[in-house]
Amino acid sequence: MFIQVLNGIVYGGLLYLLAVGLVLIFGLREVVNFAHGSLFMVGAYLGFTIASMGYWWGGLLVSVVGMGMVGCTLDALIFRTLRKQDHMITVLVTFGLLLILETAVTAIWGKAYLTYPVPRLLDGTIGIADTPFPIYRLFVIGVSVAVAVSLSVWLRYTRTGLYIRAASTDARVTAMQGINVDRLSLIVVGLGTALAGVSGVVAGPLLSLSPTMGNYILIDSFIVVVIGGLGSFAGAFVAALLIGQIHNFGAVYLPWASTVLPFLLMVAILIWRPTGFAGSRT
Amino acid sequence: MSTTAQGTATTARSRPTAAVMLVGAAVAALAAGATLPWLLPTKIAMSLLAQAIFDALLATSVGFLILQNGRVSFGQAAFFGLGGYSIGVLVARNWVAPELAIIIALVLPTMVAFLLGLVIARITGVAHAMLTLAVGQAFYEVVFRWRELAKGDDGMSFELPRELFGLPASRLQDPVVMMVLAWSILVLVLLALALFARSRIGQIAAAIRDNEERARFLGYSTMLPRALVYAIAAFIAAIAGVLSACYNGYIAPQMFHWSASGFALIMAIIGGAKFVIGPAVGAILLFYIKDYAGQFAEYWPAIVGVILVVVTLTMPRGVVGLVATVWTKRV
Repeated sequence: MFIQVLNGIVYGGLLYLLAVGLVLIFGLREVVNFAHGSLFMVGAYLGFTIASMGYWWGGLLVSVVGMGMVGCTLDALIFRTLRKQDHMITVLVTFGLLLILETAVTAIWGKAYLTYPVPRLLDGTIGIADTPFPIYRLFVIGVSVAVAVSLSVWLRYTRTGLYIRAASTDARVTAMQGINVDRLSLIVVGLGTALAGVSGVVAGPLLSLSPTMGNYILIDSFIVVVIGGLGSFAGAFVAALLIGQIHNFGAVYLPWASTVLPFLLMVAILIWRPTGFAGSRT
Repeated sequence: MSTTAQGTATTARSRPTAAVMLVGAAVAALAAGATLPWLLPTKIAMSLLAQAIFDALLATSVGFLILQNGRVSFGQAAFFGLGGYSIGVLVARNWVAPELAIIIALVLPTMVAFLLGLVIARITGVAHAMLTLAVGQAFYEVVFRWRELAKGDDGMSFELPRELFGLPASRLQDPVVMMVLAWSILVLVLLALALFARSRIGQIAAAIRDNEERARFLGYSTMLPRALVYAIAAFIAAIAGVLSACYNGYIAPQMFHWSASGFALIMAIIGGAKFVIGPAVGAILLFYIKDYAGQFAEYWPAIVGVILVVVTLTMPRGVVGLVATVWTKRV
């Protein structure tokens, strides 16, 4: 039972890493990034290439830095150019990016499933409640908690964090106060994409690598973002844990309905509160 | 996607001849469709056109939702799949007369969409895109897992009944017959949608799309017209699903998949979602580009992605919009 809860937290943690990136980007650019799942996938493949040479931690580093740079490029080239257009146009462009990235990865690494190694340091199991539990899964929980804590401290107590919170509430008024929202957005989209890279690498050893690995988790993180309320960091955290538990307990106790449960929950919550748990915008 | 009322729609009342011209154009298009079997060289070409028209119908369904409701759906394939699965499962199990099965396969998705529309019409913008995506994927997951229904992941082949409405049903799998039938249905659907946009209810729907609050202040119920538009859009998607299932004699969960919805949306955008005819044009264009690019088939999604990015950046009103702009400048 306790092990089940832990497994749910592992998946919830991964979802949080993706969902918080989506929330960050949505806050500043009011765009839901459909390519976020593919960026997660590209991050995993980047890390895999370095990790299979024997440098697991190097793979993590390369993936985070590389995806951060990809994110900055994405913001500068696409989100900034299209900021005056209808936001739906940008969403469609990110959908086009999804198709391009998936095909590119298929062309480079092939369609076959690849197995991401576990770092030697974290290999093995540890006894929890008399059951062996992989250390690596505890590491995943640790990473998500560390990201959640440092992110909230950064947003709460630094000047940049204050600006980001302000811009997420109302980007135009924030810009009127003399804050360079485009530069903030560069940081935020870069950070959000880097987090997609982190979750890609961290999820690598848990899921198998394939060019479509991002799609399933992208839809789950969409559900997290919508349930939590668009643009709400705390909402995303709670919703990710909730969906993680539902995903896991559903798979054990209601296998025939497990994949539909998150969708039903999302529809129910939107009927009850169209802006989600903690959101105030649509 | 916010759209503003097209000039043609607002002047409809003062010019009744416009409706007559539309009907005339549709009659001409139907006549042209009847000559297609002599124009196309091979059965393969006819089969291709038939399949392109299935895509065109689905894209028209997505585009109509944008045009009349201002809502972008990432889950319209759900109704395509629901139509196809209804006919496939009912015919394969022989539960009802095949004619009744066709009616159910068209009515069921329409009803589902109407009820869903009452709920999701309240959600706007990006949340709406994500919600429709989730609803569509929920259907996909159900048919994917439910092996007893139609063999789940593998998909299911089924035999058409011997007769439909007194005619031999196997004719539906003849490319010549299906091409002409699908073409005629597409023309009639486009005509009906163009006339709908000019009708009273269509104008009310457009008013709600442009400013829901204002329409409510004017005393209109905003929920029902919106839900009606969802229902009509689903009806068109269901027609495409039924035609596709009958023609191929095969149904599979991919009919529901979000990539099918996404591609339909892309076709609608490339063609120009602010025109009734735009999505169909986009679908047929894209279908033939895909066929032409056959040797690069494995890179096809990336090609579509590039086309989509280029079109959205350079011609926001789509191919039909570009043609219309060029045309009005010349005249």
